Amino acid sequence: MAIKHPYKAIVIGGSAGSFQTVLHILESLPKNFSIPILLTLHRLKHVRSGLAESVSLTSHKPIVEPYDKQAIEPNTVYIAPSNYHLMVDDDYTCSLSTEQPVEFSRPSIDVLFASAAQVYKQQLIAILLSGANKDGAQGMKIVKQCGGTVIIQDPSEAEVSIMPKSVIDIVRPDIIMETEDIITFLKNMVK
Amino acid sequence: MEITQKELAEFISCFKLHSSYDLSDYSENSLMRRVDKVLSDNSLNFPNLLHKISTDAVFCELVMKQITVNTTELFRDTLLWQELQYKLLPLFETKQKIRIWHAGCSNGLEVYSLAIVLHHMNLLNRCTIVASDINPDMLEQARKGEYSLRLLDEFKAAFDNAMKENPYDSEFKNLSFETYFEVNKKKECIAVTSCIKDKAEFVRIDLVKMDAQFDETFDIILCRNVLIYFSNSLQKRIFEYFYTHMNPEAYLILGMQESMAWFMNSMFEKKGVFYKKCK
Repeated sequence: MAIKHPYKAIVIGGSAGSFQTVLHILESLPKNFSIPILLTLHRLKHVRSGLAESVSLTSHKPIVEPYDKQAIEPNTVYIAPSNYHLMVDDDYTCSLSTEQPVEFSRPSIDVLFASAAQVYKQQLIAILLSGANKDGAQGMKIVKQCGGTVIIQDPSEAEVSIMPKSVIDIVRPDIIMETEDIITFLKNMVK
Repeated sequence: MEITQKELAEFISCFKLHSSYDLSDYSENSLMRRVDKVLSDNSLNFPNLLHKISTDAVFCELVMKQITVNTTELFRDTLLWQELQYKLLPLFETKQKIRIWHAGCSNGLEVYSLAIVLHHMNLLNRCTIVASDINPDMLEQARKGEYSLRLLDEFKAAFDNAMKENPYDSEFKNLSFETYFEVNKKKECIAVTSCIKDKAEFVRIDLVKMDAQFDETFDIILCRNVLIYFSNSLQKRIFEYFYTHMNPEAYLILGMQESMAWFMNSMFEKKGVFYKKCK
């Protein structure tokens, strides 16, 4: 099947109230949706595992907590490991860091989005979901500056609207939509 | 404030010229973020930063301290400390002398985590522990063994998780936190007790230069969440250095999300969460 869209990677961020949404998006993606997805979800520091496992159960794709310098492959979902920032390096590998929290968060969505934006530029889609703090907004600004596509969950649908709203405060999102429309948008990319 | 790749390259060569540090094998992504932070922490623009580096040796030392990441925790990763206690260290119980090198020890919290496990297992007296870091401020704090009182709840929770539960026989140990830490209200700190204090020798080593050469070899080397800041080629050099400074049957302990898979060759084999030296 010919792929017509220009995208090479998708980054998704979320915090309070986003977990079920992420699961739903991942399980709804068709098998031929091969673009790699990188996820940063805020989580409790000492809950090491479980997240990757529960996402794996519902998705068609392998879900991994990447090792430092692990290559980013198609058809795979990468989740920021607990207590590490996840970044994308120029050579399309994952890079981890234990630098101080950003917006009280490690992993931080800003850190993932900003690094992915600089590598993938206009070939990146960034999606920010429900959450109770501002992490992700600065990252979205950089995604926009680098030519990527900025999508936020409609704050009126989000369980906690602070996170998607904080994007609107500093940058104009390309698309504001509800979860089902995000899924349709992604599915249409590979039709 | 965001520096460009070109500026980063300029910074690296300028810093190399005017300080004793070579950052050219640091991984670019993190280094860029750290240099951005140096600029904002010191309220400098990029040309001023280069100027200051080339004229002020004391400032260079400060920059290096701000670039290195000092994140560490008591018993970071419960699983690792349980595996160490119930799987790895029992292998050394019959050994008369156990030599340990903790490379990149930051403020010493993991050195003391290790000392607690060893003390509890009655092995500490037989151990020689060398703990190294590039940052002299961190080493000083590590030697003192004093930590902010604000960390008390976090310390206690981490201690309970790692030391009181045995995942292999569901036995719950009645170990006392106060054996290893005492709260000093006057100094507003948590201080390590004499059981574990002064058991490690803290020395300054730059892993890039490997300037402090060891004559001895080690049974266990810990190097956790340090190599993630280095390029593949520097990582490889350090792994080779570790290898040549390890005894037969020695083990290497990395961070939970670090892997040697990229160089996995005849040097090390993976054993659970540890790496064992190949013969």
